[in-house]
Amino acid sequence: MRAMTETLCALLTQTWFAADMPEDICERLSAIGELKEYPAGAAVVSEGTTCRELGVILHGRIALRLALPGVGEQTILTIDDGDLFGWSALLPESIATSTGVTLVPTTALVFDREPLAALMAANPEIASAIYPRVLVAVTRRLQATRTQLLDLYRAGHEPW
Amino acid sequence: MVTASARFLPRADLDRLFTALTADGRRVVGPTVVDGSIVHDELASFAELPKGWTAETAPGAYRLQPTGRDRLFDYNVGATSWKRFTHPSIVPLTRGRRDGNQVVVEAVEIDPPKLAFVGVRACEIAALRIQDRAMRAGPLGDADHIARGDAALVVAVECAVAASTCFCTSMGTGPEIDGGADIILSELDEGFVVRTGTDAGADVVDRLGLGPAESLQSDRAARQVGAVRAAIGDPVPAEGLATRLRAALDHPRWAEVADRCLACANCTLVCPTCFCTSVAVASDLDGVEGTTDRTWDSCFSQGFGRVAGDANFRPKVKDRYRQWLTHKFSTWWDQFGSTGCVGCGRCIAWCPVGIDVREELNAIAPIGAPSGPIPWPLSPIEGRAPAPLATVEPAAHVTATVRSVSFETVDTATLELVLDDPALLGSRPGQFVMVELPGFAIPPISISRIRPDGLNLTIRSVGPATAALVNLATGAEVSLRGPLGRGWPIEAAYGRDVVIVAGGIGLAPIRPLIDAILAERPKFGAIRLYLGARTPRDRLFVAEMNALAGRTDLEIEEIVDRAGPEWQGKVGIVTQLFDHAPWDGTRATAFMCGPERMMTATANTLEHRGVTDENCWLTLERNMACGVGTCGHCQLGPFFVCRDGPVFSLAELGSAFGLEGL
Repeated sequence: MRAMTETLCALLTQTWFAADMPEDICERLSAIGELKEYPAGAAVVSEGTTCRELGVILHGRIALRLALPGVGEQTILTIDDGDLFGWSALLPESIATSTGVTLVPTTALVFDREPLAALMAANPEIASAIYPRVLVAVTRRLQATRTQLLDLYRAGHEPW
Repeated sequence: MVTASARFLPRADLDRLFTALTADGRRVVGPTVVDGSIVHDELASFAELPKGWTAETAPGAYRLQPTGRDRLFDYNVGATSWKRFTHPSIVPLTRGRRDGNQVVVEAVEIDPPKLAFVGVRACEIAALRIQDRAMRAGPLGDADHIARGDAALVVAVECAVAASTCFCTSMGTGPEIDGGADIILSELDEGFVVRTGTDAGADVVDRLGLGPAESLQSDRAARQVGAVRAAIGDPVPAEGLATRLRAALDHPRWAEVADRCLACANCTLVCPTCFCTSVAVASDLDGVEGTTDRTWDSCFSQGFGRVAGDANFRPKVKDRYRQWLTHKFSTWWDQFGSTGCVGCGRCIAWCPVGIDVREELNAIAPIGAPSGPIPWPLSPIEGRAPAPLATVEPAAHVTATVRSVSFETVDTATLELVLDDPALLGSRPGQFVMVELPGFAIPPISISRIRPDGLNLTIRSVGPATAALVNLATGAEVSLRGPLGRGWPIEAAYGRDVVIVAGGIGLAPIRPLIDAILAERPKFGAIRLYLGARTPRDRLFVAEMNALAGRTDLEIEEIVDRAGPEWQGKVGIVTQLFDHAPWDGTRATAFMCGPERMMTATANTLEHRGVTDENCWLTLERNMACGVGTCGHCQLGPFFVCRDGPVFSLAELGSAFGLEGL
């Protein structure tokens, strides 16, 4: 068990998510994690459903998509190594805000929401290590959304 | 060269001066009363001078009043300035013709009239010099302006009265005249003390056969102008003003004055130094013949700072008033080594709501004001203006032939142009050209490839001119002017890692940089390319970028803003490609091009990665109408983007980069 935890922690610290995370926190976190491997095309999160797991991508890529009536699914963001998915699991309502689909075979360290919440509640130092990283993920979502709203690369109508 | 030995011209003999001035075919322009104000106009004789009139001025007020004296120059400055003659409101630039595939664009021949300007005041001499310096700057200067100025003979008159709106004393431009004129007159009741400033002026005065001025007359003239100086005082303490003003870019007074300002542009039109212009394009009905004219414009115009993509860099009156005031009194020093204001007071008198620039300056940048951050250190032009990296002087109106047109996306095409002009073939990566089809607006287009026999231009169709360009057929001709601007400083990256970030059409000016770097691949460390696009369909040079991805000596990643489920690549903003990448930014030189908002985000991320401002280069988009720094459209703080850029380092731009309203 101990060896598995160390292995998971080692994998985690190879990503930006835990690159500068204190080792003991990484290990205590890894101890409640589960290594999951998804084939390409797997839905890891589904929009509108209860999000039961928070995951960190160790290797792979996930497309976060929204379904638009009449248009179909649109990818609003892709996330890669070290990025978080399923952070809605940390919220009381735990309703996923987008659908996450793997674009390539993807390996992730996944945390079930109840043990994770309990670990963070009992250990503020773990919570204070995790939440800034969650905020990075949320910030990325916001930045991507803002960029899309601004539609920076569009062409306007010009006199020339 | 003002002669020490003054002569005297009796009032009764003044017409002899008119005769001497016109003897060699020169026409005389001077002050005369028209519709209740004194303006400069062509004179049939000196009888048309404003004898017995003075002008009372105040903020928003100008009234002629009789003096009861016989003096001709008992006023200060008229409503119009001399730029009406040296920098006319409309000047023909080119005549073009499109005959099938053939295009001919020719510059209109310059034939400046020989004029004598009579009644030029000290502040106006300074204005002529200042505008002349601005129009001679840059790679080409403004040929029409230069020719008109060179052809003029200046007969100056020292002020004998002071208007309430005068502040030449503060600007160091008057009221005494110590040069810059061919002939200098000081008006006394009985006549004129005459000095000469040039050989041309001496030639005219010698023909008058005048006797010497009495020392008492010269003394009276000196006391007269001395009294004017005392009457004006020093209403705008100029010492340190340029620095104080640029430290007050966020002063609340800008918004306050904007509430009063109508943005009518009167101040810039009457200003003797304002030189901003636009290019007006006209076409005949069948689109065969086209003309371009240079026309006065103003930084107060709503669309003056507008660029592609409906962006407007100075959308608010507050922005435009700040631009005008900070240019006149601060950044003009960086660009031309002097103040841009001569203290003539026209902008005060002719402001319909009576905004007094002296009051605004003293409120926004008073002596002793707490200093805020200064976006650009004040430096004289010699020390700051980045030397153009072009190795050759830009060519004018070179005809190029379209060899092929390749559509990169639904609205963007690459024109492969063949030409034999050495200047254009010597273009540097990052430079641009002005592309002209007769009858259409003339867009600045970045060079997207430099070939031994021509240039590639990648153009997005966003309006009539660009639509016409991307729809040209093989064999069609276009007219080019360039190469213009500073290119990428490739040498700055020798021995270093290279990070290149491009967004959207921004990949076009980046591509010649990639070509140049790969041509000298061993001189660089690791090369990393990060490309952003709106959607997968909007990516440029797809096959070429895919080929680069197959190389082992560089890394390339791309990302799009949005995509359907068929897209297996990355989606998000371009910084996402490298915000957690493992490379060391302290060893890297970065180059980027894209929408400004994308570049500010990229610059922030690069800074966090350790790339210094000195090693971070970008190319800016502004409204570049002339391409050589004489129209004013693309001004950004102390820079003209077309002339000093469009490539800048972040260190050069300082906090000007990304600052709203500049």
